[in-house]
Amino acid sequence: MLCVHCQAVQPVDPKADFFRVFGIQTAFSLNSEDLEKRYKELTKVLHPDRFARSDPQARRASLERSVQLNEAWQTLKDPVRRAEYLLSLQGVDVGESAGLGKREKSGEHATLPVPPVLLMEVLELREALATAHAAGDAHEVEALIATVRSRLSVVMDDVAKGFAAEKPSLSVIAARLVTVRYYRRFLDEARTLWDQDDSPANARKGGHDAR
Amino acid sequence: MPVEALFGISEPGESQAKQICKGRSVGIDLGTTNSLVAVVKSGQPVCLRDGDSSLLPSVVHYAADGSIVVGQKARDLAALAPSDTIASVKRFMGRGPEDAEVTRELTSHRFAVPSAGDPVDPIVRFAVAGGSRAVSPMEVSAEILRVLKARAEADLGGEIDGAVITVPAYFDDAQRQATRDAGRLAGLEVMRLLNEPTAAALAYGLDKQAEGTFAVFDLGGGTFDISILKLEGGVFEVKSTGGDSALGGDDFDRAVAGHLLSAIGLPANAGGDPGVARAVLDAARAAKEALTTANETSVTVALRGGNWQGRLSRQELDGLVEPVLDRCAPPVRRAIRDAGVAVEELSGVILVGGATRMPIVRRFVADLFGKEPLADIDPDEVVALGAAVQADLLASGGRSDVVLMDVVPLSLGLEMMGGVAEKLIHRNTTVPCGAVQTFTTYADNQTAFDLHVVQGERELVSDCRSLARFKLGGIPPMTAGMARLKVTFTVDADGILSVSAREEFTGQETSIRVKPSYGLTDDEVERTIRDSFEHADDDMGARMLTVECVEADRILGATRAALVASSDLLVEGELEAITSAMEKLEAAKAATNHLAIRAAVVALDEASKEFARRRMNAALDANVRGQALDSVEKKVTSR
Repeated sequence: MLCVHCQAVQPVDPKADFFRVFGIQTAFSLNSEDLEKRYKELTKVLHPDRFARSDPQARRASLERSVQLNEAWQTLKDPVRRAEYLLSLQGVDVGESAGLGKREKSGEHATLPVPPVLLMEVLELREALATAHAAGDAHEVEALIATVRSRLSVVMDDVAKGFAAEKPSLSVIAARLVTVRYYRRFLDEARTLWDQDDSPANARKGGHDAR
Repeated sequence: MPVEALFGISEPGESQAKQICKGRSVGIDLGTTNSLVAVVKSGQPVCLRDGDSSLLPSVVHYAADGSIVVGQKARDLAALAPSDTIASVKRFMGRGPEDAEVTRELTSHRFAVPSAGDPVDPIVRFAVAGGSRAVSPMEVSAEILRVLKARAEADLGGEIDGAVITVPAYFDDAQRQATRDAGRLAGLEVMRLLNEPTAAALAYGLDKQAEGTFAVFDLGGGTFDISILKLEGGVFEVKSTGGDSALGGDDFDRAVAGHLLSAIGLPANAGGDPGVARAVLDAARAAKEALTTANETSVTVALRGGNWQGRLSRQELDGLVEPVLDRCAPPVRRAIRDAGVAVEELSGVILVGGATRMPIVRRFVADLFGKEPLADIDPDEVVALGAAVQADLLASGGRSDVVLMDVVPLSLGLEMMGGVAEKLIHRNTTVPCGAVQTFTTYADNQTAFDLHVVQGERELVSDCRSLARFKLGGIPPMTAGMARLKVTFTVDADGILSVSAREEFTGQETSIRVKPSYGLTDDEVERTIRDSFEHADDDMGARMLTVECVEADRILGATRAALVASSDLLVEGELEAITSAMEKLEAAKAATNHLAIRAAVVALDEASKEFARRRMNAALDANVRGQALDSVEKKVTSR
């Protein structure tokens, strides 16, 4: 990262995976407090502000390393993205990730199959959400969100167990992550409805439980 | 290299840094109403005073004889010569004449914008000195900066060579660039433009040794900014930012002025008389300020026909201010949610801006956050103090114990098939940042990609701000989905976006530098976000529907073509099953429910799976035969 002799920021190694950026083991299980600590310490060392008065090469290297560091942090701090990233290192693409990393769109690219049961489940959840929202039933909306959150956490526990297994089955983990993706999308939609209700009139009273 | 090894060598050579830095560096808060300059003295930031006040009113008077007056004296001259006296110039930074048209309506009683002048001039100018001179907002701001620079040089007894100037978190690229230019005109090296709420947090974090997650509630003269920051071990991480660029103390003045006008018996626009409007607004501001401590105050409006006398109570003031203040709540909730924290988890709320002195504003903040806000540091001075700290950090060439991590204010993306905006970098992502995404061709024999870079929170491109368009051509004809286009977005620490694209098979490359919010006005930035929430439900549905319809059409088209081309490969009953699945998909499309379409796509996929497998095998057989033939031919020709 920094040259031991001249303290210059070294250029990005394109082959370095995100775990190596932080100097940790390439594994699903990690200590998130430790990860954040490493992120902040590395940011202090690499941030372009530290090179505001350095030569262009040093500024460029600092920018590239900082970009890589931020991307690595965004990916690894989130268990879902971390799991997707680990699969992608093994050549398994779960499809739409939450924004960073590689993604393929349309065309003949093979996406993982989506079980019809899952589609039905999400379809029903979504209808229930729309109905509850239309009826102004905030408790029901909350209950639906809580339901999906708990289902999501159960699936993520499975994902963690899957990675912890002696011989992880990538296809099983990938299938779980497809489910996670659908749950997350549902939660996004629920959140969107929440924002929509965020008019000045009801914002004041709701300030304390904003989330 | 193990991470631990890095920490030992991260201590910079401070002596080396001091050699590079010749003079002193200052922090400047270039405000809508008042401006300040601060400097770090023996480790502590202090605001420099002229007489007993650190505030320099951001008002510049251009006299007919060519002399220029800045500050309180200029403010005093505003009533006498409104058109030669420029106030609130910050609202015009980085704006074109067409933007000014809108703003002029709100501020006509303060100064005039000339309609004369060069018609192709992209910068708004003010006719001053009795109309004999036209000055740009940058020049006006530079006058303010010159006075602050002189104040600092007098105090420090030496030349100033670097400055950090603060800007609202929502300032777009044009506005930031204009601020930079003003600094240059004033002879300052602008080392960095710093967001105002971040500056405030920096002042609190270092002075009060604050740790934890804080909200910065910044209600200035013309803008409202809310930022959520995490302060920990010298790292100042902006988690999210939001605001309302058309909301500030000036709006309170206008609300009170409206009340006074109706009490006097004048129309709401003061009969279009700039002098009367000025007088009523001045009286409103004075009454508002008096009611910060008093429960009731007398109001005097200086009119040509004699003075109007009246009284105003704090209760009346609160009633007038409350509807305006309520508009602060939604951006606050969004920022908190974007930061991924709960209100109870916040360690404190920092108050910034003169308007936060008002008791009703403090009460509002306390209600909204469920805790008493912090105002240990003067809300007028806190931004300048933070800027001085950052100037000191940058000039000393990299103390590694403090670092600021700011964010992208609006999402950046690309237009996809069907007019959907695909976000590559989401708003509130820490800068510097980047994203890489691979796209493929939609149609057979497509030889070029049209790339359209957009910014905004809405799902459809037509609702987002267009930043740039460019084309990547020279792709050889291939089957749809074969080409691989790798697009890279990079945003540097100053918020400037670069986009590059590369086609993986041919190695064709192109790139462009984009200023992410160039030409976006404050209002537009904010409207973009507000719209995305107001239309959020429509948007999400519209986006999913578009995506699924594009996919459905692709599959229907491909299946139809396959049925025609390979009807010989169909087995009994298969055609009926596939046709039925296709009809169901068409019906689902008509019903405009994206999940139903998805389900029908899956069903069609299932119904045609075996048929597709047979087709694939047949194609592979043909291909192998073709290749064999090909290699034979090559051998023949090379002989």
